[in-house]
Amino acid sequence: MPRLTIDGREIEAEKGQTVMEAATAAGIFIPYFCWHPKLSVPGNCRICVVGVAEKDGGEWVEIACNMPVTEGMVVYTNSEKVRARRKATMQFITLNHPVDCGICDKAGECTLQDYHYEYNGERSVSVDAKVHATKHYALSGRIVLDNERCIQCTRCVRFTREISKSNGLGMQNRADHSLVRAVEDGSFENDPYSDNVIDICPVGALLSRSFLHKARVWYLKPAASVCPGCARGCTVNLWHRRPEWRLRAPDMRAQNANIERATPLENPAVNGPWICNKGRDLAKILGRARAEVPMLKGRPAELAGAIAQARTLIAAARKPVALVSSWGSNEELAAFKAAFGARFAAFVKADHVPEQGEVVEDAILIRADKNPNTAGARALFGAAPPSVPKDADLVLVWGEGFDFGLVPAGAKIIHLNAWLAPENGHADVFFPLSIQTERAGHYTNFAGVTGAFSKCFDKAPGVSDAEALFPALAAGAGGGE
Amino acid sequence: MPGRKLIMNFEVTPTSHTLEAYRARGGYQTLEKALAMEPADITKEVTASGLLGHGGAAFPVGRKWGVMKPNPGEIHYLCANADEGEPGTFKDRWILENAPHLLVESMLITSYALGVRHAFVYIRGEFDLPYRRIQGAIDEAYAAGLLGRPQANGFTLDIVVYRGAGSYVCGEASGLITSIEGRKPYPRNRPPRLTVRGLFQKPTVINNVESLANITGIIRMGAEEFRKVGTPKSPGTQLISISGHIAKPGVYEVEYGYPWAKFLDEDCGGMLHGAKMKCVVPGGISTKVLTRAEIEPLNLSHESVNPAGSGLGSGGMIAIAEGTCMVRFLQVLLRFYHHESCGQCTPCREGMGWMHKIIDRIVAGKGVPEDIERLYAISHANDGTTICGMGDAAGYATVGILNKYRDEFEYFIQNKRSKFDGRLECLA
Amino acid sequence: MKHLIPEFEKMKERFPAGFEPSLVLPCLHRIQKDRGYVADEDIDGLVAYLGVPRIQVEEVLSYYTMLRREGIGRTHLQICRNIACSMRGAEGVIDHACKRLGVKPGGTTADGKFTLSTVECLGSCGTAPVMMVNDAYHENLTLAELDRLIGELVVEERAGEKK
Repeated sequence: MPRLTIDGREIEAEKGQTVMEAATAAGIFIPYFCWHPKLSVPGNCRICVVGVAEKDGGEWVEIACNMPVTEGMVVYTNSEKVRARRKATMQFITLNHPVDCGICDKAGECTLQDYHYEYNGERSVSVDAKVHATKHYALSGRIVLDNERCIQCTRCVRFTREISKSNGLGMQNRADHSLVRAVEDGSFENDPYSDNVIDICPVGALLSRSFLHKARVWYLKPAASVCPGCARGCTVNLWHRRPEWRLRAPDMRAQNANIERATPLENPAVNGPWICNKGRDLAKILGRARAEVPMLKGRPAELAGAIAQARTLIAAARKPVALVSSWGSNEELAAFKAAFGARFAAFVKADHVPEQGEVVEDAILIRADKNPNTAGARALFGAAPPSVPKDADLVLVWGEGFDFGLVPAGAKIIHLNAWLAPENGHADVFFPLSIQTERAGHYTNFAGVTGAFSKCFDKAPGVSDAEALFPALAAGAGGGE
Repeated sequence: MPGRKLIMNFEVTPTSHTLEAYRARGGYQTLEKALAMEPADITKEVTASGLLGHGGAAFPVGRKWGVMKPNPGEIHYLCANADEGEPGTFKDRWILENAPHLLVESMLITSYALGVRHAFVYIRGEFDLPYRRIQGAIDEAYAAGLLGRPQANGFTLDIVVYRGAGSYVCGEASGLITSIEGRKPYPRNRPPRLTVRGLFQKPTVINNVESLANITGIIRMGAEEFRKVGTPKSPGTQLISISGHIAKPGVYEVEYGYPWAKFLDEDCGGMLHGAKMKCVVPGGISTKVLTRAEIEPLNLSHESVNPAGSGLGSGGMIAIAEGTCMVRFLQVLLRFYHHESCGQCTPCREGMGWMHKIIDRIVAGKGVPEDIERLYAISHANDGTTICGMGDAAGYATVGILNKYRDEFEYFIQNKRSKFDGRLECLA
Repeated sequence: MKHLIPEFEKMKERFPAGFEPSLVLPCLHRIQKDRGYVADEDIDGLVAYLGVPRIQVEEVLSYYTMLRREGIGRTHLQICRNIACSMRGAEGVIDHACKRLGVKPGGTTADGKFTLSTVECLGSCGTAPVMMVNDAYHENLTLAELDRLIGELVVEERAGEKK
């Protein structure tokens, strides 16, 4: 266990660590562009220089990311020599960068922007024209590349080699006309993790086409959530407009309640710093057309009327069967169990199955089970495959993915669903439910790790929270545990 | 003749490069001697010889070998660096063309000493005749059973000639290795040293062709005899390839310690067309220029040249006549460095292009007085900050010229034209 | 490139085991010699043969100055413009060649016969200026020698056409 001193603070490092790793572990910040804890160390940006005391009293300056710690070394992260080096490096890095922060989506969360103020702060020393390179280059259907903004740290390239393993990106050419390019066989287009390169890009070179010019990041705030796309349940941030920056025009309600983008929220126990592209598209999954009105045999009804009718059906049923949603939160599932655990024969159903063209499963993150809480639901209701006996006379269907043809003739149907679907109107009683962005809750992933999601928006007036609805239906209908 | 000869010590004829001719000169007898020695004793002998690397950095060859500490059963590699790309340097080409078997024998001895089973000759792609000569020599050695087959003591070696495809940084040891791995030749950060983790992560020794070519002689005559040639601090000889405004350009083997001025004036026939000498690039364009007055008291040895603020480097000497425009001279160098920057690390990628733009602008008559300080600043910001030595090299070359010929730059900027006629040529 | 695989197999024999990626450069050299450039289908074939990621081959092709992905003129004239050659008149040689062929450096004559390139140091500084005609070095080049060489090449071209 080598002991070293950084900026006067004595710290204990692990053997084989670099100065960067030891400093980071001790909470001492050293600036970096190309370094990334999950990627190999190319040492190409040269901004992480630190000074090391020499025996003769001098100071030797080298990059921290590739410097192994040694016993007794004395490191300075902010000496005069280090500051001068960093400043010179910042001059180089911004030399051919367009500094077009005013029209760049990365502004506000850009490492280059932050470092400029922190370590340079001066205008360019150059009076020569900048190197021009491709702008608005479609790196893939999902990502737009601005080569002028690129500082060639190669994080994106290394990501496709070391993490997603698509080998989808490379550096073409040489010198200051090097360009990040996608491989010509389409491996990057088909890389299901490609959008992670947007997050790890320290500048605004790689941008999401779906988020392009949609919002300034400082108008948005993140809400911790769990991706419902598969049983991995990746921890994510769902970015939506800050209430104080909400758009005030009358037709802006949808925009104010929109998930502008989804990004990974680092969670070592589940997904590390990554998510797949499906997770990026949560806005599409969660933004589908919603059911917002309770119905009785397809006719809009008041919520109270629908509850009364459902109670009547439950009370009258001799053999009620329930198909429980694997998209229900642990809280909702517990509420169902408490309300109807003894009354219904309950089975856990897969609300979603892999879609055409979707990656079914891989060795990185993606799981074949496309539902976030199968594990949580099975813990309460068992793993028996869903089945509807021929003599069932009431079928309660919670969520999507049920074949209504399995309902025996004459049996009554209570259906609860968040989304607009033709089946909604076929039920005897239909309740529109809230979705995970409208309430807090938890999912339990395939490995038994529980993740929390938080509320972003208010639900529409006619929509019910299942957690409150189930006790309401059970009251008077009997059958609680 | 500039002293004793260890490498260019035979008459070059149309067949002197063949195995037959080499054997007639005593070739491959040293190999037999070496194979009867303990491998560690060969390294000891090389260390004792004080042989300094001839690639440019003059790093002691024995010390480089010593780091490897060959372990039986482990894989080690040897690469001969024949990617001779430093402008002004063409001495390895002489060995490849005229004494390829000397290189092969030396590689056999070195490989035996270092526990190497597979060795490589990395040769620049443009070299056609040198490639055919070294490949021909290797083919002859295979046919003669010297390669690819166990020798008397069981030692076996295969040599692959690996051709580059046009890239200066492949001459940098780690760039060379990455190139052999079939990838873009990005140089690598140290640590780890290549003698610890080199080619495909195995310990690898990379030596310049001329450095290796000396091994056979050292083992043949012994370190003590070898040290009798040259000076105590620069033992042996150096191949100097001289070009530019010199009457008799070419490759000369010079015994270390030989007077520099005498070498230029007598051995090389003085300046072209009887011109006056302005300055000389001592050892490849990355070494700092020295004026005629500066070299007057010096001799050709590291201990004489280094204190003058330059170095013998790769032995690529360029003589420059009075009247040559040093602004235009630097322009050509900076264009080259810009062209050859691999683009991996920030200071070199951005700095080379920037310096190239500045010098082009000065030559176009659009220079501003601050440009000189800018060139200095960029050079200093490349000093010791890059992954490989190329950034430093460009900086040294630039600073070397600016320090001595600042007035020409100032004149060019002020008057929008060269202090001379802008020529690089030396006319009769 | 499939017809070259037996040759590649022979090359492989001298390499240590596990050095398949190393064959990228020698194979590309061989393919280019065969076709004059490296075509997309060659890359596909090489990727399948060596089992290396395609991006590696694309990067290598884009990096090295001697490799190309498009055809050039039948005769490739490459004139060194680095310092030692420039000090011996390379700049005049390049200008002269441009005028003589009616192209700029990097250009190909309209008839597709010649491509003229300027290159950095060819390691022929002692015999400067130097020009490569395809693989062969022509050293101590003068304007008269350049004219003579181009003239000869034109004649050769015509003879080749008649055949």
